[in-house]
Amino acid sequence: MGSVGAMVKGASYSYAVFCGSFLGSPRLGFNIHNNKKKLLKFRSFSSKNTCCSLQPPDVSRLAKTAQISLTPNEVEEFAPKIQQVIDWFGQLQDVDLQSVEPSIRADTENNLRENAPETFEHRDAMIGAVPSYEKPYIKVPRVLSMD
Amino acid sequence: MILTLQTPRPLSRLPRFLPFSTNASITLNQSQPATSTSPSPPHSQILSTRHSLLSRQFSAADLLRSHLHRLNLVEPHLHSFLHLPDPSDLLAQAESLDRRIAAGEDVGPLAGVLVAVKDNICTSDMPSTGGSRILEGYRPPFDATAVKRAKGLGAIVVGKTNLDEFGMGSTTEGSAYQVTANPWDLSRVPGGSSGGSAAAVSARQCVVSLGSDTGGSVRQPASFCGVVGLKPTYGRVSRFGLMAYASSLDTVGCFGSSVADAGILLHAIAGHDRFDATSSNQDVPNFLSHFVSPSSFESKPLKGLRVGLIRETIGDGVDAGVISAIHSAASHFEELGCSVNEVSLPSFSLGLPAYYILASSESSSNLSRYDGIRYGNQVYADELDSLYGSSRANGFGSEVKMRILMGTYALSAGYYDAYYKRAQQVRTIIRNSFKEALSQNDILISPAAPSAAYKIGEKKNDPLAMYAGDIMTVNVNLAGLPALVLPCGFVEGGTAGLPIGLQMIGAAFGEEELLRVGHVFEQTLENGRFVPPIVSEDIAS
Repeated sequence: MGSVGAMVKGASYSYAVFCGSFLGSPRLGFNIHNNKKKLLKFRSFSSKNTCCSLQPPDVSRLAKTAQISLTPNEVEEFAPKIQQVIDWFGQLQDVDLQSVEPSIRADTENNLRENAPETFEHRDAMIGAVPSYEKPYIKVPRVLSMD
Repeated sequence: MILTLQTPRPLSRLPRFLPFSTNASITLNQSQPATSTSPSPPHSQILSTRHSLLSRQFSAADLLRSHLHRLNLVEPHLHSFLHLPDPSDLLAQAESLDRRIAAGEDVGPLAGVLVAVKDNICTSDMPSTGGSRILEGYRPPFDATAVKRAKGLGAIVVGKTNLDEFGMGSTTEGSAYQVTANPWDLSRVPGGSSGGSAAAVSARQCVVSLGSDTGGSVRQPASFCGVVGLKPTYGRVSRFGLMAYASSLDTVGCFGSSVADAGILLHAIAGHDRFDATSSNQDVPNFLSHFVSPSSFESKPLKGLRVGLIRETIGDGVDAGVISAIHSAASHFEELGCSVNEVSLPSFSLGLPAYYILASSESSSNLSRYDGIRYGNQVYADELDSLYGSSRANGFGSEVKMRILMGTYALSAGYYDAYYKRAQQVRTIIRNSFKEALSQNDILISPAAPSAAYKIGEKKNDPLAMYAGDIMTVNVNLAGLPALVLPCGFVEGGTAGLPIGLQMIGAAFGEEELLRVGHVFEQTLENGRFVPPIVSEDIAS
């Protein structure tokens, strides 16, 4: 299936075209659907391809990692949308980025302050926001051991 | 649908509110002598307010009442605000200011100015929800630095504005509470995520407002609502108290109905803050000296300025009306003495996926603090992981959940190289291409969005279609540069047209130049009045 080929590669021609005429118009999403058949192609594997091993997103597993209890309906609803966006991310795989340094952020100075503790004046307000407080403890339910 | 409102007669009993007032000179600082022969003052509501208060033309209490009346009149149609405080609290602040003025005391440059604050910016005396149910009713124990500084200079915080949840979205449809309407056409979105802040200034519910801009969330709504939006250089304004979305991209930004107002607000909040390790030590220049009256402009006031129009932003996929407005803006720049050339930014189109990878990844980490334990809504469970899972599932909206999941995926073990690292490399390329372009041009210009405001509901179910609209703005965040959006024209739509914003991008910490240029552009623009029909005629006159 074209879509499996696209997923394993992590990129898809329909999204390459999407980004070729990337500028949004209200009908853009609709166009992708219409053009999908024409545009989706198999990509052959190359030994330089570093992302053959990328598994498609497993929404249930991701939800567990992110500690969000999704309903089965939500998993079903989100999976194709997330897949679509992750595929779209995949176009970065095609860019030659050798010898480009990654930037953590824009240039900023090194402005760390002194590592000296200070008392926070509004401790009461902070404690007041805790949902479940039994002085002096923040109360949480028991922690089950992980499997 | 009511698009124009008649002012009820009782308003005539209040002092006639003259935002663009008088022939007298305006001075911002009491220690500066008033010039004796000055023509009509620059278009600045803050400066007019100050003049009116200091010359005792009106009191702060009267100005407040007049604004609140208008705010309440249009609010049922706009839904800009998530929280409005008790008016008697605000009145007490205004009356206290009036007493100090009467006693001849010095008052700050924002004295009596009504400021609305986006609800992802912490205010200790009002709830701060981030537009999310997970923080419903949450009261932070501190003010954000930007809020503290504005209040310290005399501003009155008039309320908290609506936004897409935690800043994730471009329409305010992602708010867990309500959708804000565009004052130019109530069936359209105001933009986002700072849609409430933009709409409130556009409809003159307040004078200026604070928003946040991570991928365009100040600039795009400014364009959609016909107001000025200013995104500062990353590090110019402290992020302390701004609920973190993507920490390497977030900035606090300003909205105003004029370039001068946005600039005065920026000046008030900018500068180093020891509570933000990424905030810059660079001095904040005095932008205010540039907001002079247009009658003092030379005939070619921007002579010699090199303006670069970004080629990739005026091609396929951009509405014809937007392109036309930008070309008109370019002509206007030429009339002012600039040289305008097209400039190409290589790899421009890569910015959008790079941005969403970085933003989703960083947000998945930043939003892990919302666990229902130390603040926010808790869904009780008899086991800790379930408590986390249920509290977060119950508290977060769909868009937020999806972005957290996408970010979790991109940061998963083994995937860092494929996504996050590559996105950071693209960030380097984009930064360098801007640097290169800004070495040959003084400012770069582009639209702020590929279209005018679209209808509520139009992009709701198609994430990629919505993300696509950010193409004009995200690269600026990746590069950490400042940008100013101001209304430059209209396209058809609504009853009076829909505004289009021009984006001007400057070099890092080049806000002074942007504001100087923006002020000249704005003050010399023909038919440059951008007041939506919903605003009463008293104000528009």
